[in-house]
Amino acid sequence: MTAVSRDIVTPYQEALSNGELLIQQCQNCKAHIMYPRHRCPVCQSADLGWVAAEGHGVLQSFTIQRVGAPTGFEQDLPYAVGVVRLDEGVQLLARLVPDADGGWDSYACDVAVRFQPAAVTAPVRGPAAWFEVDS
Amino acid sequence: MTDMATTDDATGTADEGAIIGVGELESGKFPDRPFMQALVDVSIEAIQDAQLTVSDIDTVLLIPCLHSADDQADLIFNRVTEELGLLGKAKAGAMMHSGGSTSDNVTRTAAGLIASGQAKNVLVAQSEKWGSAPVTEMVDMLSGYGIPREWERSAGITFNGIGALITQRYMADSGATAEEMASVCVALRNWARLNPRAMYRDKELTVERVLSSKMISDPVHAMECPMLADGAAAYVMTSAGAARAAGHDAWVRIAGSGGSVSHYSIAQDADLGVLGWPAAAVEAYEQAGWGPEDADLAEIYDSYAAVLTIAMEGLGLAPKGDAARNFAAGDYSPGGRLPVCTNGGLLSAGHTGVGGGTALLVEGIRQLLHRAEPQRQVENAQRAVCGGSGGTYMDSQVLLLERTTR
Repeated sequence: MTAVSRDIVTPYQEALSNGELLIQQCQNCKAHIMYPRHRCPVCQSADLGWVAAEGHGVLQSFTIQRVGAPTGFEQDLPYAVGVVRLDEGVQLLARLVPDADGGWDSYACDVAVRFQPAAVTAPVRGPAAWFEVDS
Repeated sequence: MTDMATTDDATGTADEGAIIGVGELESGKFPDRPFMQALVDVSIEAIQDAQLTVSDIDTVLLIPCLHSADDQADLIFNRVTEELGLLGKAKAGAMMHSGGSTSDNVTRTAAGLIASGQAKNVLVAQSEKWGSAPVTEMVDMLSGYGIPREWERSAGITFNGIGALITQRYMADSGATAEEMASVCVALRNWARLNPRAMYRDKELTVERVLSSKMISDPVHAMECPMLADGAAAYVMTSAGAARAAGHDAWVRIAGSGGSVSHYSIAQDADLGVLGWPAAAVEAYEQAGWGPEDADLAEIYDSYAAVLTIAMEGLGLAPKGDAARNFAAGDYSPGGRLPVCTNGGLLSAGHTGVGGGTALLVEGIRQLLHRAEPQRQVENAQRAVCGGSGGTYMDSQVLLLERTTR
């Protein structure tokens, strides 16, 4: 077994910073994998690649954080985060784009959401995927 | 997992684990109560309650603290064995850690060591100083603890935010109202007011007060968030045969246990309104040979109201979608149909970190030993459903405890 480092973080974060949401895909069994893993959790293959997400999904849950942000996030308050299940079947934690009035009233569990590449920011703390209501 | 219940005989086998004593200090903010002092005091209290002497203890299993890496190192290397005078007597000492489900995992481990003859008398002990630690440091620590750094930290998720994600999904699934969710906190407060060790034993709470408190992370209000607390709890386990030989009238056995890991990252759970409870419940009830309808009380992890209601439904203690509604109807309050979190839970007795689960377990044991203060002792308590969950509610662990008499 060779001990070659398999960097799964940089490709994901670099693509996200450039407005592209990647999903890892096993080259052996073709399973979609999120979050990126070192070995395929289905067939244990180390032969893993990337595909671009279509960017559509369903909001599983969300919250608007108003008080008590971690250090580095104080200026963002209030901000919303949610769990998104992509149409590809995988899930991730995302930031939610506010409505035109600055709130998040249009969001609810089970609403359709879409990836918003233009909203990806904050390279200092690492990029986060942003989603908005898919109307 | 060790198969601990191979017989329907309620008195169990001679080599199975038997919990014979508990100890617990008051929860709250005690900046002048040193960490190691609390650990030593609570250990001795449990050993004395078990009618043993310190030198009878041959194995020490410790439950971690989260307030300080230095103090946690003292647990890892079992400084308490030296403090207690167990050098040359203790066979082994180790710290186990799975967050809020640690006490469940430690209990199964202790029972396995005893049943296999590897240990005779196991001390399980916990001490935490969360209530006296700097709040900002703890918020930052919890925003990265049990959260994948590479994938989720950059979204700015917090400890309260994770509780809110669970709550939002539970409310959407069940149709529970804000008032019903708040009533869970009120019921727990009413239990805490009967517990002399509870952080909020002196403060009344109403649904109106909960809902008028500041919104922290929608839909969770300030008074629906657990308050970080200092606390310490301990218990002693021996074998049923040794308990009988020593003349104990009653002890607590593990009738069944089960567990399920449903995620590590909060966003990887397949169903945030269900978690691992149904899978854990099936295994545990099958082992025990009894069901949720036979429970006299339940002591279940409750760092947020929905964490508790989801667990109660998954464990069959409430019909799907009804737990919060039943709390509002008073079913689980003092005097209600089923006593739940009789120490006041993490929400009102205080969130002592990993110790929150330990305190609930110790309360369940205490109730079954009939050693709770009279005002909250569940009359003739025989069976308790105890549950814990670690990290971002990554796992669901259940212990079905049973009172056994000679």
